[in-house]
Amino acid sequence: MRIGIFICHCGHNIKSTVDIEGLKGYFKGLNNIACVEDYPFMCSEPGQALIKSSIERFGLGRVIIAACTKALHQDMFKNLVRDAGLNPFLLRRVSIREHCSWTGEDIEKNTSKAIRLIRAGIYSSAHYEPLEEKQVEVNKSALILGGGISGMSAAAFLARAGIEVYLVEKEKELGGHVRHLEDVWPVRERGKDIIERMTEELKTLNNVHIFTSSRLVSFGGSFGNYEAVIENSGGEIKVIVGGVIVAIGFTAFDPSIKPELQYGIDKRVITTLEFEEKMHELPIKEGSRVAILHCIGSRDEIIGRPYCSRICCINAIKTGEAIKNRFKDSYVESFYMDVRSHPRGGEEFYEDTQEKGLLFTRANISEIIPEQGGLVLRGEDTLLGMPFEREFDLVVLSIGMSPPKDNQEIAGLLKITLDKDRFFLEAHPKLRPYDTALKGIFIAGTCSGPKDMEESINHGRASAVKLYGLLNLGYAFIEPFVAYVDPKRCSGCRMCEQACVAKAIKFDEGLHIVRVEEAACMGCGLCNATCPSSAIALKGYKDTIIDDEISALTEAV
Amino acid sequence: MAEGNKETPEIIGFACSFCSFKASEMAGSLRMKYPEGVKLIEVPCSSRVDPAFIIKALMEGADGVFVAGCHPGDCHFIKGNYYTRRKIAALKEMFRAFSIDEKLRLFWVSASEARRFVDKVTDMYNNIKETKR
Ligand SMILES: Cc1cc2nc3c(=O)[nH]c(=O)nc-3n(C[C@H](O)[C@H](O)[C@H](O)COP(=O)(O)OP(=O)(O)OC[C@H]3O[C@@H](n4cnc5c(N)ncnc54)[C@H](O)[C@@H]3O)c2cc1C
Ligand code: SF4
Ligand code: SF4
Repeated sequence: MRIGIFICHCGHNIKSTVDIEGLKGYFKGLNNIACVEDYPFMCSEPGQALIKSSIERFGLGRVIIAACTKALHQDMFKNLVRDAGLNPFLLRRVSIREHCSWTGEDIEKNTSKAIRLIRAGIYSSAHYEPLEEKQVEVNKSALILGGGISGMSAAAFLARAGIEVYLVEKEKELGGHVRHLEDVWPVRERGKDIIERMTEELKTLNNVHIFTSSRLVSFGGSFGNYEAVIENSGGEIKVIVGGVIVAIGFTAFDPSIKPELQYGIDKRVITTLEFEEKMHELPIKEGSRVAILHCIGSRDEIIGRPYCSRICCINAIKTGEAIKNRFKDSYVESFYMDVRSHPRGGEEFYEDTQEKGLLFTRANISEIIPEQGGLVLRGEDTLLGMPFEREFDLVVLSIGMSPPKDNQEIAGLLKITLDKDRFFLEAHPKLRPYDTALKGIFIAGTCSGPKDMEESINHGRASAVKLYGLLNLGYAFIEPFVAYVDPKRCSGCRMCEQACVAKAIKFDEGLHIVRVEEAACMGCGLCNATCPSSAIALKGYKDTIIDDEISALTEAV
Repeated sequence: MAEGNKETPEIIGFACSFCSFKASEMAGSLRMKYPEGVKLIEVPCSSRVDPAFIIKALMEGADGVFVAGCHPGDCHFIKGNYYTRRKIAALKEMFRAFSIDEKLRLFWVSASEARRFVDKVTDMYNNIKETKR
């Protein structure tokens, strides 16, 4: 067998903590190694060309790419190997970046680890077999969970591109939180008007099916042919969709878990969301004293919300401005940790409202004490280092974003993952911010972390574009990693049949052996680990592959 | 059988592709450090791990072996990790008879728990290093 090894420097990412020349020297002398190449960026065009030409020139039977982890660039490398005439399942990726150069600082130790990892790739891939990916048809349809601004934006894009869209919203109406905003910054429109325009647009598209007061109750299948059951008062509807966008938004932080703020106890303490909903009914008049507290439910380790919610500073400023605009002689003071008015125009907005007379005090508020006359804020001015007490008529809490209520339920149904703050986790924070680990399942909007409307709309559209790219191909390859049975070894004990969760193993009464239904097999490998006769194996992960990987790792270098 | 280096333990970890392997990728991207002696073998599901693999790794000189899968209830393959839990418990029971049960660990690490992954492997590494002295 002729093996080619391709070692990537990844600029300085690998090269600075792994001795590339040392690696090359080690592998050059070994049996069956036809070539050992290195390049600054294997994923670049010249890097790809180097791999391709080497496969052709040396007639390689195995390609070992020692670079970043296989979650990145895998399709590109597979296509490249395929184009060079080699079965793409004879490619082995070895992660010497995420699992070596970035996790250790000592060059010598890293180099010896990289040698072992690459060797494990060589030994185990010796047992690889050419596999055929099954081509399946992809349904040009999408399920969108959540009809907030992000889900609606995604729906509009996909529908206009010709995709059949099923938009599932759990509430009676579309729109999510935006519907309740009286004054959307920076466009200064009512949220309801924006939502109604978008709803009208969706209704003119006859390939959008809107399900309100509905929820997802079951989910299965694989990319291209996911099966979803939607339930509402009319009963259950089953739809087959190519892909999914999860856009179930956020939950407004509930300040009642911080009893020192008196929220829910004293009616004079409200949230920015309530301010949006009923700003014209509040008991404020000329001369009123209003306090606005930033970062409520954000940047707070103690309650498990260490992140910045990104919208609350602007919301706080917006609230102060609304009061000042109506009652010039009111006294409005904002208590902040830092003012992060990050969106475009935010800084100018902050300056303008200061000119309108809104006061900003950098402070930690420790408690709110309700008194007959007013609410007494007790805290510390963190610039002057001085404790203070001040009385107000109304306190507005600028609340942050908490993860969506149904996060656990939806993650469980779709088998996708939540991050440490319980928002949905993206496949890669920089390179794949819209994808989940599952093909064809994307996330959009605030369900993956705090965002303002502009960001939520962009995220929704970007996920829609990504999904469209996959669906528009019309076909997909299914991973060929399924179990298969060696009929000569199978004793018909049926232990694998009992273990298989997917019920993919069927007993043949006549032959007294089992067989695998490939379409049902999930590829977990449980049967492989269960069979006492080593008669059933999972393609790509059969015993010899893992056995030799173990040997390569334990063998002395 | 390879001679284990007495100074630096060699640990082999079987990591589920849907959770702990992803956590290890994230740990790398975040430049979190852990001992070089820890090396991973990716498996589709922790239930793919045949007890024979664990025995083989120890026989061939690994100082410790861990299996890392998704938290109970989170298995991508519905309940593969419950099988893993039972298998490892039985194996540990057997290892106890030979006083080598410290060499085997099972832990649950979700895809987002890079820090937990690093803490778990580092703790195991230090523990084995300690007992090797
Ligand atoms: C007080 C306040 C003021 C704000 N002001 C501004 C502003 O001025 N400018 C600005 O740009 N941004 C503002 N924002 C931010 C803005 O609200 C968000 O960016 C936006 O709502 C995010 O949209 P979304 O679609 O991601 O989520 P959401 O608006 O939360 O929509 C999610 C939708 O999913 C639905 N859903 C939830 N669970 C399920 C389920 N299991 N199945 C089906 N459907 C489900 C929900 O019912 C909801 O309709 C403000 C936020 C707050 C809290
Ligand atoms: S466990 Fe092995 S021997 Fe028993 S039925 Fe399944 S494949 Fe055949
Ligand atoms: S790999 Fe898993 S799903 Fe497939 S037959 Fe084996 S046990 Fe069943």
